[in-house]
Amino acid sequence: MQALRTAATGMAAQQLNVEVISNNIANMNTVAFKRQRAEFQDLLYQTLEAAGAQSSDQGTIVPTGVQIGAGVKAGSVYRISTQGSLTRTDNTYDLAIDGRGYFQVLTPSGDTAYTRAGNLAINDQGQLVNQDGYQIQPAISIPGDATSVSISKSGQVQVIQAGQTAQSVVGTLELASFTNEGGLSAQGSNLFKETAASGAPTTGTPGVNGLGTLLQGYTEASNVDPVSEITALIVAQRAYEMNSKVISTADSMLGVANQVKS
Amino acid sequence: MDNALYVGLSRQMVLRRELDIVANNIANADTNGFKVESLMTKEQPGPPAFTPQGPRPIKFVSADGVARDYGQGALRRTDTPLDVAIEGQGFLKVTTKAGDRFTRDGHLRTDDLGRLTTQAGDPVADESGGEITLDPEKGQVTIAQDGTITQGIERVGKLGVFKFDSLSTLEKTGDNLYQNTSNQQAAPATEAKVRQGMLEGSNVNSITQITRMIEVSRAYEQITRIMDSQADLTRNSITRMGRLQ
Repeated sequence: MQALRTAATGMAAQQLNVEVISNNIANMNTVAFKRQRAEFQDLLYQTLEAAGAQSSDQGTIVPTGVQIGAGVKAGSVYRISTQGSLTRTDNTYDLAIDGRGYFQVLTPSGDTAYTRAGNLAINDQGQLVNQDGYQIQPAISIPGDATSVSISKSGQVQVIQAGQTAQSVVGTLELASFTNEGGLSAQGSNLFKETAASGAPTTGTPGVNGLGTLLQGYTEASNVDPVSEITALIVAQRAYEMNSKVISTADSMLGVANQVKS
Repeated sequence: MDNALYVGLSRQMVLRRELDIVANNIANADTNGFKVESLMTKEQPGPPAFTPQGPRPIKFVSADGVARDYGQGALRRTDTPLDVAIEGQGFLKVTTKAGDRFTRDGHLRTDDLGRLTTQAGDPVADESGGEITLDPEKGQVTIAQDGTITQGIERVGKLGVFKFDSLSTLEKTGDNLYQNTSNQQAAPATEAKVRQGMLEGSNVNSITQITRMIEVSRAYEQITRIMDSQADLTRNSITRMGRLQ
């Protein structure tokens, strides 16, 4: 009976939906986390009678066909890249991107990864690194005797060194952007890698060519909206129940058929 | 003499098919732009049984077609710039490898070349059937109600929304796509409104589907009961006739 298998695809789809929602809720307080959504598509249709087929020699056609669908599948799980709200932290090395763009991070394997989590720090050599200690690209070193560090909206890092009054520029941060941000592959630890679907990155100065600006002393919160996640969870749970109801109905119909007296 | 059994069997087959359709509706209750379906049935004039001056000839039931309700699904806000919902009659045109397809699932993205595509990566057509290319450096994408796409202040194209005079010849091919099976041409849908940042949900009403499912399963039990009692009748007549001799 097709209905059994169809309902099973429905249950599997809703289970995936719950997994995506639970990941969103779990990452509600992750810096710069972008919520995800599962979108569904219908599966193949079995055409028993084709619409538009000729029903006589006079050229009359079948107005509506008989098509039976095979259920549902997960079409895509995609990230919704809307801006998260900016939270003030007053921490010198906290940077939030207001707008498009990603920081570039050099991973230990030598590849470049991309992140929007701007809760940075400096390591023992004074280099600007992310929370995992991976260097930010282009590399920026803060002199050990710097008394104050200020980062402008366009990414210029200026320091005042001990015994000096004028600011000196030690480097400029760049942001990378992608044609198709949704195509980036998530690596965990707030990092993303480029894929064929995302296209090659273009780097540039913050605030130029549609890139976002940097805000020092802020971090970007996740864009997860707890209320809409909980309602989505309720909808998913009910949809799961409904599909299981179909299975028990199909099962009881088969049971009836089995009890026919011979 | 076995006609009651065969009529019952035709009903059972139709009911099973109907449950398949209800199951597909429920499985797709959360699918973007999905349109709910139901089975239409018809009387099938079968060959009359041997009844010289008897009553009406036997009629069987069979599936006549799948009715699709193209009513509007609920719009829900996603705030994603490349999500569009169509309000009113109309479809987006998708150029797939297998030919032109139509869809109401406006969950779009750009590919690595900047073309506006569906999630499967097939380009979405503009009003004249060409492709639409977006440049991320030109700034925010705005899609107007008539489908005009602007980036910043520059017009980059117009999303094509098409409609058909007769929707019954559209066939579903899966992946939220429809195929035009007749030679009627798609015409621009001028009344349809494009809503950016929204998606159209399915128009499946879960209560209707659950009640339909209960109906189907009860009708199945009923017809099975009738077939059973018909079989009992036959069995009884055989044993009684045997006793007379």
